[in-house]
Amino acid sequence: MALTKLARIGLCCALVARASSAAAQAIAVDVDQSAGYSTEDVAAAHTKLRAFGEVKPDIRFNVTGVWGRQSEESDAFAAAYPYTDRPVVLDAYVERTFRPSGGLFGLRVGRYRTPFGISSESDQGYVGFQRNPLVRYDDCFALSSTFFEHGADVVVGPPRASLEASVGTPGDVGEHTRAGGVDAVLRAQAVVGSFIVGASVIRTRPHLPHADLESATGFGADAAIDAEQDEGEREPASGTAAFGGIDVRWMRDGVQLRGEYISGRPFDGARTHGGYVDLIVHRAFMGPITAALRAERIASRDAGISVLAGERYTAATRIRLPRGFFAHLGIVHNTATLIERRATAIDAGVSYSVRLE
Amino acid sequence: MSGRRALIVIVALWIASAALASARVETFDLRGTVRAGGRSEADAVVWLDAPDAVAPRDDKPVVLDQHNLSFFPRVLAVRVGTTVEMPNNDRVFHNVFSFHDGKRFDLGLYPVGRSRQVRFDTAGLSRVFCNIHPNMAAYVKAVDSPYFAVSDRAGRFTIAAVPEGAYTYHAWRPGRQDLTGSAAVNGNGELDLQWR
Repeated sequence: MALTKLARIGLCCALVARASSAAAQAIAVDVDQSAGYSTEDVAAAHTKLRAFGEVKPDIRFNVTGVWGRQSEESDAFAAAYPYTDRPVVLDAYVERTFRPSGGLFGLRVGRYRTPFGISSESDQGYVGFQRNPLVRYDDCFALSSTFFEHGADVVVGPPRASLEASVGTPGDVGEHTRAGGVDAVLRAQAVVGSFIVGASVIRTRPHLPHADLESATGFGADAAIDAEQDEGEREPASGTAAFGGIDVRWMRDGVQLRGEYISGRPFDGARTHGGYVDLIVHRAFMGPITAALRAERIASRDAGISVLAGERYTAATRIRLPRGFFAHLGIVHNTATLIERRATAIDAGVSYSVRLE
Repeated sequence: MSGRRALIVIVALWIASAALASARVETFDLRGTVRAGGRSEADAVVWLDAPDAVAPRDDKPVVLDQHNLSFFPRVLAVRVGTTVEMPNNDRVFHNVFSFHDGKRFDLGLYPVGRSRQVRFDTAGLSRVFCNIHPNMAAYVKAVDSPYFAVSDRAGRFTIAAVPEGAYTYHAWRPGRQDLTGSAAVNGNGELDLQWR
């Protein structure tokens, strides 16, 4: 079955590549391979294929498939990819960008990451951190960076201030996925000097199974669910999920400061708020080294009872090595109810990336 | 007396214009092919030494575009003193930088539709990356000459409007030593370059 899915992804890439080359447009394939080990006793490996190019002049396509495996369920090394132990398609879309009179109008159709806040794979997966922010991990009561949409996305405005809207149905990957229905995401973004400021809202369906959250004592939704329900009884929570968020990025001379705050309800009767602040430094004197620090916090309540609360601090580095290799090292310290395995963990990984043209 | 002076001036102007006319040098396009290991080689930069060249600058904007998580073109050749536009036409942020040889810069984060500029004011090779996307890489080769070209997919190049004469040529491609030699620009023959 896994091979069949992998074969589908390969066939899809090949067909798109053939169509692209027939139209005499450039096509390229990125191959990423990574492996890592965390002192949480978690080992992980993943392979990603990304084919991209132009179907016709100015109409671009992007197809990304990934296969990832973890020795145990964890958010370690999951900054951008799910570990489903089977090949999955992440992005599969075509897009076109127009620049009328210096303005901006972009249209994307297909399957793409939910455009809420700091959401892109590269924003979360390639800046030095090896874990998602808690407010973007699908085992917490907030959003997930592996939310995907099947739909259409439009961005419009002068580049200095743009409005983005997406309408689609959920196409999530990962352990917890949203039920069907129609999603709507709206995002506004403005560039003010060295600041880039965004605000997003989403209205969708819950992604977590229904559970008696009062019994939660461990980390995230699984702890709550495992306490009350057998595997076969899990059903999506009822009602709607709705979140609002703001995000800010500032950068100067190789120093980036960014943060995101998200607040809303993961399902009817529950409330979550939290966020993170990242400091990412890549100065000229540092050469191939990027250093990153993160401080984050999350708190969830269901029917007025705290079910998840804690803080986490991360120090990480990403080193660009010769010939497409990267080394990653992170130290993560958890507090409060986030402690399930160990309070402090060290994540180490290596990745290799190559482009075939 | 004034009539005599006027006559001298007229004669002097006539001699000067005749000298300028005779000094006007004919120009030719220098065409050629680049091969490496027997195969046609794209993205090789070929330029001619011309320290005294007075060729005017091309006013067309020079662009190193970013779309589809890639730089276009992958190899860009510019004359020293050229300002290169680096627009982001992707739906994600990019952070373009160059910390190695040549021009050093870090343009910071900027979103779709925005652009930054870099002036390449010294000759040399700049290796350009995006700090976020590992497979984004490009080369900007700044040459102190108005006579340069980049080979196409068939390995062919054309250096336009070169004044007739004898030149020293240079050729560069990623990962190889520069080639250097002599070339006569006279409208006859082509310049064939080969890396072994």
